[in-house]
Amino acid sequence: MEAEKAMILKSFSDYYKQAKITVPFVEQREFGVGGFRKKIESRHMSFASLSALKNYLVQDPPLYISHSIAYYKYPEATPMENKDWLGGDLIFDLDVHSGMFLTSEEIEEVTNDAIKLEDILKEEFGIKDEEMLRVFSGGRGFHIHVNSPQFRKINGDGRREIADYVSGAGLDLGKFFEKADKYRMVGPKRSDWGYRGRFCRIIQKTIEEKPSGIHRGLKKEEEKNKVLACMEDGNWSKTPIKDIVERTVRVAEKEMRLETVDVDTGVTIDTKRLIRVPNTLHGSTGLVAKKLDRFEGFEPYRDALAFGNEPLKIKANQDLPEQDFAGETMEKIEKGEEKGVPKSYGTYLILKDAATLV
Amino acid sequence: MDLNFACKYPFTEEGKQVIIENDIQISDEMAERGVNRIVAALNRELRPAKPVHLSDQLIEIGSYGAARMLLAHLKNRYLINKFAIAEAKKASSLMSLENSENLEKLREELGIAPKEFGGKLVLPIEAYVKFSPRAIEYRLINRNVKGGFVEVNQREIIRLMEEGVKMKVEKVGRFPNAPETIRKYSERLMKLVPKTAPSKMSFKEGDNPPCIEKLLETAKKHQNLGHQGRWTLVVYLINKGMPYEKILQIFSNFPDYDERVASYQIKHAIKREYSMPACGMMLSYGLCMANCKIGNPLRWKAWKQKKQ
Repeated sequence: MEAEKAMILKSFSDYYKQAKITVPFVEQREFGVGGFRKKIESRHMSFASLSALKNYLVQDPPLYISHSIAYYKYPEATPMENKDWLGGDLIFDLDVHSGMFLTSEEIEEVTNDAIKLEDILKEEFGIKDEEMLRVFSGGRGFHIHVNSPQFRKINGDGRREIADYVSGAGLDLGKFFEKADKYRMVGPKRSDWGYRGRFCRIIQKTIEEKPSGIHRGLKKEEEKNKVLACMEDGNWSKTPIKDIVERTVRVAEKEMRLETVDVDTGVTIDTKRLIRVPNTLHGSTGLVAKKLDRFEGFEPYRDALAFGNEPLKIKANQDLPEQDFAGETMEKIEKGEEKGVPKSYGTYLILKDAATLV
Repeated sequence: MDLNFACKYPFTEEGKQVIIENDIQISDEMAERGVNRIVAALNRELRPAKPVHLSDQLIEIGSYGAARMLLAHLKNRYLINKFAIAEAKKASSLMSLENSENLEKLREELGIAPKEFGGKLVLPIEAYVKFSPRAIEYRLINRNVKGGFVEVNQREIIRLMEEGVKMKVEKVGRFPNAPETIRKYSERLMKLVPKTAPSKMSFKEGDNPPCIEKLLETAKKHQNLGHQGRWTLVVYLINKGMPYEKILQIFSNFPDYDERVASYQIKHAIKREYSMPACGMMLSYGLCMANCKIGNPLRWKAWKQKKQ
């Protein structure tokens, strides 16, 4: 394994010679690095400038490097309380559980989630485009770093509220309704924002397209209009359908799931978390944790490659399926077979423990 | 300088200025009233004083300062939290009758600045999540959210301001060289503090799931818990077989502990044999901490043992 380690560290160092690494407020961040044993082997490091960070990466390249989402007065200080927390970016982590390679369906799924999240952050949280840093994690998904002064000081509990909001955790649509008095049921109205507004949009669409999905009686124009009128002012007692709440909630629940994003709450709420430094390499794949202008159309095995196509001779430790990589289709490789493959692919396999150098 | 305002809201900058500008030194009378202020907080007597004369107003403001000095000297988290809650509740009852000019001053000081957005009264998300109480109806997911703002009504703003006052008052700094008056009255205060509260809690670390650990941690730190949190904790402890007396002891750590109320609640829960809310319910209460996917917090120990 020594030859592989040396080759990988040399390749990482070569990559860092030309890589563009920028970290806002670099001098206020704590850094953590990892190697062949662990993703984070040591932390509480700091760099006074971007050039100091770059020098380090070229001279002593780690397999993994992460920076704190937080800004500290004393980033190197230990224990954590002595660092003096000044604030932190708001981070969202989207992952898919994947095997050796991400499938195109998994890539599509996580990309759609990332786009949905972007929309929620813009529309509902008022986050500007330029305050969002979109990053491929280098592994199985995406990170969004929100670098907005507005959200910087929010504590863990507040961040949990935000994570739960985007992931729909604890959403209870029945709670949108309450009896105002003996005769009146008050509920969501069309002018509402957030999930209440979404609820009304879903119900309106169902009424227009498939009213019997809620109640057979809604095929009649007159009955339909009564439910639509409920959403006008939030008075849900205008329809004679007694169990209208249960019926609409049942319909909306299914659809609402499509409007939430399954973020890793643990990452968002942790105000002292370390997160992969954008544009550095991921030590389990050799792919670049690449900064992106947009999520649409991103293909990790085409757009996040750090190494060229020069051949690398490897021996497979296991059967490897056919796989699209670096714009080509990599053929199946059987366990024990030796083969020349593009360096980016070979490095990926070695880091996944699926191959060794020949 | 509005003395009346400072007297009603002594935790404000204006309250501080009155003390500085009038060169108020803590007298025995102020310290005495400071002690009374804390004892009243412990007894949940929340009616604000209404001093009329100037000198009395100054003493009243001084008594707040004295109370804070006493608390800083004693560094007793339980007393500080009790005091903060009482001061916040007093301020809240005054704020709901307050004129718009004074309300504006208070909002500015607390950092709660509602505005009009899209035809609705709103607060910026960061202020909302900072000051909203832990109750299901205040959870962000159940609110109207757009463009970085959360819709609120006037009543809710007052509730958030109450939380803001509590957070301000509970920030008590260090006070290493307390003057003689403060030392003397600290001793007197400690003699008046009921001996029953609070008790030490003993749990083995890792015995309980993260959600319950967090609830217990809140009790340990003498912070208040919302209704759902408190109810969940009672039901959990009952289901774990903890006797009534021990549960009551744990509840004595909450700053708004009232033995009569807590005792009734616990006995009631024991009688009704409530079953433990499932993880899904914990999530909707906003109490789920780790998404450990065990279905029900009571399964934690079995799940952990199986994992090992």
